[in-house]
Amino acid sequence: MTPDITHLERFDTDGALAEAADGLSRSSFLRRSGLLLGGGMLAGSLPVAFARAQGGLPKGDVAILNYALTLEYLESAFYQKAISDGALKGEYARFAKTVGAHEQAHVQALKKTLGAKAVKRPSFDFQGTTGAQATFAKTAIVLEDTGVQAYQGQAGNIKTPAVLKAAISIHPVEARHAAWIRSIVGSGNDPSPAPAAFNPALDMASVLAAVKGTGFIATKSAAAGAAVGAQPAMTG
Amino acid sequence: MEAGLHESATLADVDRDGALAEAVHELGGDTRAAFLRKGALVAGGGLALGAFPAGFAIAQGGVPKGDRKILNYALTLEYLEAAFYAEANAKGKLTGETAHFAQVVGAHEAAHVEALKKVLGAKAVAKPSFDFQGTTGSEKTFRKTAMVLEDTGVSAYQGQAPNIKTTAVLASAGAILAVEARHAAWIRDIIGGGQGVLPAPAAFSTAKSMTEVLAAVKATKFIKS
Repeated sequence: MTPDITHLERFDTDGALAEAADGLSRSSFLRRSGLLLGGGMLAGSLPVAFARAQGGLPKGDVAILNYALTLEYLESAFYQKAISDGALKGEYARFAKTVGAHEQAHVQALKKTLGAKAVKRPSFDFQGTTGAQATFAKTAIVLEDTGVQAYQGQAGNIKTPAVLKAAISIHPVEARHAAWIRSIVGSGNDPSPAPAAFNPALDMASVLAAVKGTGFIATKSAAAGAAVGAQPAMTG
Repeated sequence: MEAGLHESATLADVDRDGALAEAVHELGGDTRAAFLRKGALVAGGGLALGAFPAGFAIAQGGVPKGDRKILNYALTLEYLEAAFYAEANAKGKLTGETAHFAQVVGAHEAAHVEALKKVLGAKAVAKPSFDFQGTTGSEKTFRKTAMVLEDTGVSAYQGQAPNIKTTAVLASAGAILAVEARHAAWIRDIIGGGQGVLPAPAAFSTAKSMTEVLAAVKATKFIKS
C-alpha cells in the first residue's frame, strides 16, 4: 500500500493520453490575454533565468514549459484544496503550506516565462484525497515523486540555456518536497525519503498518461496533449 | 569551520581565504597518479554494476574534456561525502533516525563514487585523504555538517548541469542531483521537524559555481591531501 516512485503509472489503464491531445493553445491564447492583465505576479520570486528566457523560445521548449506548468497547476491546486479542507495537522499542515507556496511560485514563474503561450489552468477533482491526512500524504508523495521524475526526464531535451537553468532550480526543490513528505510519513524508514542512489526519470508520455489516469484533471486540458504533439524528438 | 545551523548556512559561508586556486589545481592535475591508483582499485573493485544509471554506462569512452573536469569535480565531492558518512558510521555515535540516515545516505554516496569512477576510468582523480575535524564524533555536529555537505552537493550539481555537453552525462547528473536534494531535505527534517531548518527552504534552489564550491570545501580543511 506504500506508494512508490512509479505509483502514478499504475493508474493508467486506459491509455487515454491521446484524448488529451487536442489543441488548447488557441482558446488558451484568448483567455491568457485577460489573465495576464489581471495578473499580480510575484516578480520578486522569479528566478533570473526565467526572466531572461522570455521572448523567442523554441517550440520544443514551449512544449516542455507548458508540460511543467500543467504539473505545477496540479500540485498547486492539490495543496490549496488540502489546506482549505482543513484536515491536516502539525507537520503535515506546515508541509502543505510551505510546499503549496512553492508550487504556486513555480506556476507564476512558468506563466511569466510563457506569456501568451501558457496553457490555461485546468479544473481539478482530487477524488477526495485531500480530505484526510493519510490520503493527502500518500497522494502528495506520488505527486512530488512524479514531479521530480518529470523535470529530470526533460532536462536533456531543453534547448534554451536559461530555461534549463530555471528547470534545474525547480527539479531539486521537488525532490526536497518528496523527501520531506516521505520523512513525515515514514520517519526515515518506510517510505524512505531517498529510496535509491540514482533517481529515475520519466518521459513526458509516461507522466501524462499517469496523470490522466488519476482522474485529477476534470477538464480535458490539452496542456498535456499540446505538449506531446510537439514532442516527436523525445525518443530520437 | 563553524558551519552554522541557520537554514541558509552553506560551506561558502566559511570561506575566508579564497584559497580556491590551489584546490582547482589539485582537481585538474594528478591524473597520472590517479591512473596508477585506479588500476589497483578497479582490479579489486567489486562494483555494483546493477546500481549504475544507464546514462553513465552510455557515457563511457568518449566524454569531452569539459565534462571530464565536471565529473572529476563531482567525484571529489562524492569522495568527501562518502568518507564523511563512512567515518561517522564507524565512530558509532549516531542513534535512531540519524544513524539510519547515515547508513542509507553513505551507501548512496559510495554508489555515486563508484559510478563516477567507472565513467572516468583512468582519468578519475585519486581519492584524497580526509580529516573531518571532529565533526563525526557527535550526533549534533554530524547532523549540522551533513546538512551543509548535502546542500552544497545540490548547489554544485545544479551549477554544473548547464555546462555539461554529453546528454548521457547530463541525465546521470540529474539522477544524482535529485538524490542529493532528497538527502538534504531528509537531514533537515531530522534536525528541525519541518520548522526552523526547513527541508525545502525556498521555491527555487540556488546554484553554485565550481569556484564557489571548491573555495568553501577548501576552507573546511576536510581535505588533507
